[in-house]
Amino acid sequence: MARAHVEDAPSDSGPDAPIDPEATSVEVSQQVVGRSPWELFWRRFRRDKFAIGGAFIVILIFAIALLAPVIAGFTHGPNEVHLDRLDSFGIPTGPQSGFPFGVDTAGRDLMVRVAYGARTSLFIAFFATGLASLIGVTLGMLAGFYRGKVDTLISRTIDVVLSLPVLLLSLGLVSACGLSPNGCLGGIIKPGLLLVSYVIALFTWPYLARIVRGQVLSLREKEFIESARSLGSTNRRIMFREVLPNVAAPIIVYTTLIIPNNILFEAALSFLGIGVPQETPSWGRQLADAGPVFTYAWWMMLFPGLFLFFTTLAFNLVGDGLRDALDPRTGG
Amino acid sequence: MDPGAARAAVGIGRGEGGYVRRYLSVLALVAVLGLVAAACGGDDEGGTGATGATATGATGELQPGGTVELGMLGDVSASFDPQKEYYSVTWSWYRCCLLRTLLSYTGVTTAEGGTELQPDIASALPEISSDGLTYTFTLKSGINYGDPFGDVQVTSGDIVRALEREADPDASVGGYNFYYNVIDGFADFGEGKADSIAGLETPDDSTLVVTLTEPAGYLPYLFAMAATAPIPPLNDQPLGVAEGHTRDYGRFLVASGPYQFAGAENLDFSVPADDQKPVAGYEPGKSIQLVRNPNYDPATDGLRPAYPEGFNITIGGDNNDLYNKVQAGELDGVVDGIVPPPVLRTYSTDPTLQPRLHINPSDAVRYISFNMAIPPFDDVHVRKALNLALDKEGMRTFRGGESVGEIAGHIMVNALENNLLADYDPYATPNSAGDLTAAQEEMAQSAYDSDGDGVCDAPECSDILAVTDEADPYPDQAALIQQNYEPLGLTFDVKSFERTTMYSKCNEPEAHVAICLAPAWGKDFPDGYTFADPLFGSAAIFPSCCNYGLVGASPDLLSKAGYDITEVPSVDDQIKAANQQTGDARYQGWADLDTTLMEQVVPWVPYLFDNNVDVYSERIVNYSFDQFSGLAAWDQLAIAPEAQ
Repeated sequence: MARAHVEDAPSDSGPDAPIDPEATSVEVSQQVVGRSPWELFWRRFRRDKFAIGGAFIVILIFAIALLAPVIAGFTHGPNEVHLDRLDSFGIPTGPQSGFPFGVDTAGRDLMVRVAYGARTSLFIAFFATGLASLIGVTLGMLAGFYRGKVDTLISRTIDVVLSLPVLLLSLGLVSACGLSPNGCLGGIIKPGLLLVSYVIALFTWPYLARIVRGQVLSLREKEFIESARSLGSTNRRIMFREVLPNVAAPIIVYTTLIIPNNILFEAALSFLGIGVPQETPSWGRQLADAGPVFTYAWWMMLFPGLFLFFTTLAFNLVGDGLRDALDPRTGG
Repeated sequence: MDPGAARAAVGIGRGEGGYVRRYLSVLALVAVLGLVAAACGGDDEGGTGATGATATGATGELQPGGTVELGMLGDVSASFDPQKEYYSVTWSWYRCCLLRTLLSYTGVTTAEGGTELQPDIASALPEISSDGLTYTFTLKSGINYGDPFGDVQVTSGDIVRALEREADPDASVGGYNFYYNVIDGFADFGEGKADSIAGLETPDDSTLVVTLTEPAGYLPYLFAMAATAPIPPLNDQPLGVAEGHTRDYGRFLVASGPYQFAGAENLDFSVPADDQKPVAGYEPGKSIQLVRNPNYDPATDGLRPAYPEGFNITIGGDNNDLYNKVQAGELDGVVDGIVPPPVLRTYSTDPTLQPRLHINPSDAVRYISFNMAIPPFDDVHVRKALNLALDKEGMRTFRGGESVGEIAGHIMVNALENNLLADYDPYATPNSAGDLTAAQEEMAQSAYDSDGDGVCDAPECSDILAVTDEADPYPDQAALIQQNYEPLGLTFDVKSFERTTMYSKCNEPEAHVAICLAPAWGKDFPDGYTFADPLFGSAAIFPSCCNYGLVGASPDLLSKAGYDITEVPSVDDQIKAANQQTGDARYQGWADLDTTLMEQVVPWVPYLFDNNVDVYSERIVNYSFDQFSGLAAWDQLAIAPEAQ
């Protein structure tokens, strides 16, 4: 747990403490309840209705993703073709009993496919973002702590990656490695959800690295680092035990804020046809499929679109709430 | 990128009010979704109620006049170069309008005689020697070219000139010059070994004598193809006006039919080829404008009524948009579109609109093809089982239902066999919906089903590499195919590609694609040879095209491509034998080949004989289907007089 510093002292513990007007001054000070930083964080977060709402939606989407096979078990499989739900011209039918979201152009239960789409989005959200976070935090810490040549190398790498044309490169990478049956590099890069995750992680780690680097640069000048060093701590120890805990808060916040971007990134790639493979349900691909038939099968666009929208919104709200709660100076 | 994180990336973030940011992201997402929805065809349904006072399908004299306005989704495949164009859309424009050939067609259906060769530049069908090696054509006189060669008449030497260009591999790249190797000396000329084609003689300007290397019953059809359309002479250049235009002759095309490109009169062939300006009436990727050829004499023709004064074709756009325009009366038709299901439904069910809906067999077949060198498809029982298990009716539903074609029970389209096999369906199932029980009985006989329970249990049946087309409705069809074949123990790893890429992957033996889910094949000319040889002849394997099943592949080829299987059944002899027949015996030969393929070789699961389905505007009061190209006979589209 982070050591408390003057700058991070909870600022609202004083006024909130109940004061017994009849107590003596000594008792007053004894009745001032000190709250741990986590308790303070939770109180601030709890007060933010939007963030709580977002958190509920996130939990709900998680539940849907986890329960997708169960939902399928009770209704229909995600790849089951129901020809009887297409009319004699092959036109899909909309919301009806047994198919609350209607069917898609292949006669598959859209509700079940939307539920499975949540799995794809959440997998990307956590795996791709987690990977980006791992890389970004590590490199950011190294850059900020060691400075000098290490910093130069990492910072210039960040600049280069941020300058890369994202869509063009994704197109190229996924086309080269995603379409040939054996993938790239002798089968290491295989097409599928993993490839898309790597691509997304590749383009998002620089944001976190920069933030972490900035934090570390300012932190390393603080006295507690000097005192730890004078006590004989190695660099690695200092990084892990002194610096890292103090950048944990921004890392959590910005990782959470990157999640919705990555969800939309995967949706965009799938929309363009270079995302997850055809059979993997993905909200982005479902939106792409819905485009040409929008005028007569509106449900194919409405439901995946709504789910994508609310999931992204929910993560944004939670991230904002986290930031406001963890570091009130940046909040509104 | 999230605005907050971007600011934070600069330093320790001190964002503005969090609430404002939250609303910003909400608004941004709403805007994005709105843009997605708007971009994806938020057009209103085209008005179907444009019931004017004009009579539809009016009886009475059809009057020439008016300009037909058409939309076209994609451009022609080789900028109108007749030696390169291997695309039925372009062929439809050559036959009806731009180019005449020694023989041609009448632009009507098979039943009306649309597949029977008629004399066009020739005055009669050719005389054939008794050994079948020599064909003599006599040409009509008085056939003039379009501008700027309006006073030049077509001679037999002009036909030879076209064939010499066809023999040049550069000029005919992407085309079909392999058909003409049967002409003596054609290949030698193309390789530069001779300075003329030995088998083509022109004793005088109106006679052409063609000598073959071996009898070929399909030869007359070859002289109805646009690659043999005459090329006018120019000075003494060997290739006439096409000299110097190896890559782009189409943009300088001199017409010989009732129409020419607008602005053809401004073509200036007096300057060197590189300095010449292309014709204004064709802007690649943008538009095509055809006008009447002022030098055309209808008395020398008889195949082309040529009603419209001209055609304005706009290239590009979205399929749904174009059909909305047709419904609204802003366009007369779409050249290469696919009628969207709701439009098809509207036109099929509304009696006032039905006369504008035209459905005709296009002489194309849609099928699934097996690579017979990859297990489990090296086992004929597996291939037969898959023929029995496929829900062909369901496959048709995805394409738009009954109107889009007839369930295919065999490989060659019926017209090419003179309907000899019209009722032949060796793997017929009730309602063509597939019969799992029958399929399992067949699978039980396979070596890959060791316990004979009708379900494949060998590892070769898992994760089979399958390739399909990424465009609609092929992915939906792939879902159905997998659903049909899964109870037989087969699972697939389906990869989707853009169409031309898909075909090349299916054609490449080294790609080891086991099964191809989305190919289709149409005839090149109305003879069974154009199905038999390119699809099942051993010479049509890579680097040639299009024998994806490796039928007749040699052990050498198989081992070079990395296969363990050492032989695949061949039908080369049967193709050759059928090809040497003529008349009814020829039809019977193709029918027998089809039967052999379906029952003994089983390289495919054919599922649909395609229809061409199209809708036209109200003011089009005459329509004819050109069976040769599988599209409308454009020159027969007559416009109602009051709408001209």
